[in-house]
Amino acid sequence: MEQMVATITNVLILSSMYILVALGFAFLFNMLGILNLAHGAIYMVGGYIGLALIGELGFNPWTALLLTTLIVASFGVFLEKFCFRPFVGDFNRIIMMCVVITMVLQTAVNIIAGTQILSLPPFMAGVLRTEHFSVSYERIVTFAIGGILLAIILWFVNRTRWGQQMQAISQDMEAAALQGINVHLISALACFIGCGLAAIAGCLIGAYLCIGPFMGDFMLLKVLMLVFLAGIGSISGIIIAGLILGGLDSILPLLISGAASDAVTVAIVVVILLFRPQGFFGHEA
Amino acid sequence: MTNNQLSPSTISQSKIGRRKWAKPAVYAGLVVIMALIPVFLSSPYILHILILTYIYMIAAVSLRTITISGQFPLAHAAFMGIGAYLAGMASKWLNWQPWFTIPMAAFVTAGIGVLVGYPFARLRALYYAMGSLFFGIGVIYIIYAGGVWTGCYAGLTAIPPLLPLVTSKVPYYYFFLGLALGSIIALYRFEFSRIGTNLKAIAQSHLVASSVGINEGWYRILAVGVGCFFVGLAGAGYAHYNQVLSPVSFNFMATLWLVMYVLIGGIGHFAGPIIGTFILIVIPEFFRDLKMYSPFISAAILGIVVYLIPEGLVGLSKMVRSRFTERRKDTWAVNAS
Repeated sequence: MEQMVATITNVLILSSMYILVALGFAFLFNMLGILNLAHGAIYMVGGYIGLALIGELGFNPWTALLLTTLIVASFGVFLEKFCFRPFVGDFNRIIMMCVVITMVLQTAVNIIAGTQILSLPPFMAGVLRTEHFSVSYERIVTFAIGGILLAIILWFVNRTRWGQQMQAISQDMEAAALQGINVHLISALACFIGCGLAAIAGCLIGAYLCIGPFMGDFMLLKVLMLVFLAGIGSISGIIIAGLILGGLDSILPLLISGAASDAVTVAIVVVILLFRPQGFFGHEA
Repeated sequence: MTNNQLSPSTISQSKIGRRKWAKPAVYAGLVVIMALIPVFLSSPYILHILILTYIYMIAAVSLRTITISGQFPLAHAAFMGIGAYLAGMASKWLNWQPWFTIPMAAFVTAGIGVLVGYPFARLRALYYAMGSLFFGIGVIYIIYAGGVWTGCYAGLTAIPPLLPLVTSKVPYYYFFLGLALGSIIALYRFEFSRIGTNLKAIAQSHLVASSVGINEGWYRILAVGVGCFFVGLAGAGYAHYNQVLSPVSFNFMATLWLVMYVLIGGIGHFAGPIIGTFILIVIPEFFRDLKMYSPFISAAILGIVVYLIPEGLVGLSKMVRSRFTERRKDTWAVNAS
């Protein structure tokens, strides 16, 4: 029972964090065709800014979470304006730009904070105990924030005017511009939301597990897997693919020890992509 | 009037005549300069950096060989890792001679490349890039899971050196200079052969290419095989030179760096990856004193190229030339009016 509850919470937490980061990546990728390889670094910086605000400046964790989100999201708008917008459509230069951003962010964090593994203070201490099992409040909070944010994002994309405009741009940018949609404003908004989500995930993972300068590389690989498993252009597919990937990542280590479980996960993803290159819900071949 | 019409063609003809021997002469001069470096600079550190440059040059040029078929593989460092670990494990655990393990590793890497390339030949563009990326990650996880055989996270140590009796780096320098030269010439011949032309045709339009009888899948697998052969060679040489292998040197970021070497030099020219590798490995070494800040130098080089030289460093000479000729034309126009 204890083990089962722990596994289920693990699956839910990992999945929701993967999905949060992947949604931000997918917004940019669907709308502008930007393969944002710097997204992992942005997620990592989110964790470190959260740590700096709580540890060095003494903010309350919840205020720090909000402030971090705003700071990183504004950084995202800056990135969109100066690093992505001039090169939209030029795939090679976008990739080079993303490597530059990743290097600058990782080196800066290395210099300021050092390479050691750090951890954020928990957002909520204590353990929920019942007759059969016990779950720490930290896990519940992490999952609750992830779930609420997901619901808000789904509502935003499907029900609001801006979300509809984002979908229109991802279908056809020029046609959307002809309809009077401010393409630049909406892509800046998408970058704002995407980087903000990555920062929240960075803070939550930092409190739940730990943070290090290179944690972004791992998350970037997971995000790429998730987005391509789901299929390009599919938002709801990301949630299902995220649940599958989170499940694989938390259940396989129980069955196979060590790095072999990661190898099996990757092998499953490669085989799925070979048989269905467009992913579960993609439309293009 | 006739004089005016004739003169441009005569100028261009004489230019072609001059360039016929000028280009090989420049390349031969560069090779001679590189061959003479150990005579003047015997510092082991400089030689070490140059040896690494040659190894990564082979890897970057062989990556270009695959990219001329229009696909962008993101598993190239993983293939280098396959070659390096094969050579290292064969000579460490089976006591095979380095002179045998290096070609063996290259051929086996090429075989693995062909085997993997066969199912991947159905993927194109971004899907191919992502599929190969995940394959590369899988290779790294397999190395991590290899236990004692691959050395896990600590890496494979105490690999027998290529030249056991030599302590200086000069023989190694000439060995890798020769290896790089041979590989680059072979890949140059490959790219400008009929096969290379077919690959470029596939890159332009795979539908048109297959309609004129080019077997797209076969040629793409061939390109992957050739690219993997040379990257396996580079990896095996690296294993016997460095004597220590760590999976980190072959992960996703390493692949991205190989891609950077190709892109920064310019993707449209054969010399691109050669120049790119040289610039991105040698120039940051001048700023070694900055220690932790030195990645900023690489980032600055990349940033300058991204913002100012869209065609890559190879395009720089063309940009400069066109700027001067444009200005000359303008002044000529002003004078004429």
